[in-house]
Amino acid sequence: MTVDEREKDDVFDAVANLRTRDVSRRRADRLRNRCHALLQTKPEEHVTLGAMSDALLRRVIGPVLGGAWCLAYLVEIIRRAAAIHGP
Amino acid sequence: MTPMDPDDWQLVARLRASDTDAFDEVYDTYRPKVFGFLLRMSRSRTVAEDLLDEAWLRLVKHASSLRPDTRIGPWLFTVARNLYWSYRRDSLVEETSAHELLSLWPSPASWPSPFDMAAAGELERRVESALSTLSPQYREVLLLVAHEGLTPTDAAAVCGIAPDALRQRLSRARAALSLKLDETPAIATLKKGYAT
Repeated sequence: MTVDEREKDDVFDAVANLRTRDVSRRRADRLRNRCHALLQTKPEEHVTLGAMSDALLRRVIGPVLGGAWCLAYLVEIIRRAAAIHGP
Repeated sequence: MTPMDPDDWQLVARLRASDTDAFDEVYDTYRPKVFGFLLRMSRSRTVAEDLLDEAWLRLVKHASSLRPDTRIGPWLFTVARNLYWSYRRDSLVEETSAHELLSLWPSPASWPSPFDMAAAGELERRVESALSTLSPQYREVLLLVAHEGLTPTDAAAVCGIAPDALRQRLSRARAALSLKLDETPAIATLKKGYAT
């Protein structure tokens, strides 16, 4: 659909003419002030030590521990199987 | 993709520099648009207000890392849309009846005559009602293109689909809405109403 087709279309007109909605003045001002406060905070302050350690745990330590546990489990299964059915 | 408005470049540059005046310009322009979109998608004022807060907080948190060629409108609608779908997935929102939206109806706008005012109010109510019964996928493309004026290419980027797929979805959405409107005697009156 081209822009011209869109302009000629009654159904599109009906949607286009729906009125604009907004939040209350009070709510809008409260959010504005909150955003201003955040904007004036330096970006470095957003990155806390806690957030960094969370990321490290999620991306590195968790998978490494999980992998090690799986490997140990597999080795133990092979060892026991070998003990039962071994030569 | 639509070429970037030179004003957008400056606005983004100022936002990246944490300029609160630039934020206010963007906020005053897009807050009602994004809120209207979220309200019509979620059909709940409370949910729309919460998602709106989150969308603006995301803009502020990412302001310093915005790409210089970021187009603020599509960026905000993308965030708002993703927040809506994330909310919808998390809360497994049940489809509710159109009556919920109708209860949000604000006081009538000024129109040339009391008759026009009543007729237009009724028409708009019917369009809102029909729109709210469409699937969210259809609703979002109609709202983005027809109400917010995004180009199909921009709307496709917002929805994360190919422009051709969006055009197809838009065409189906339009047909579905037209059918819903035809189910009520609204469309004929609607054509007359908006023509005047």
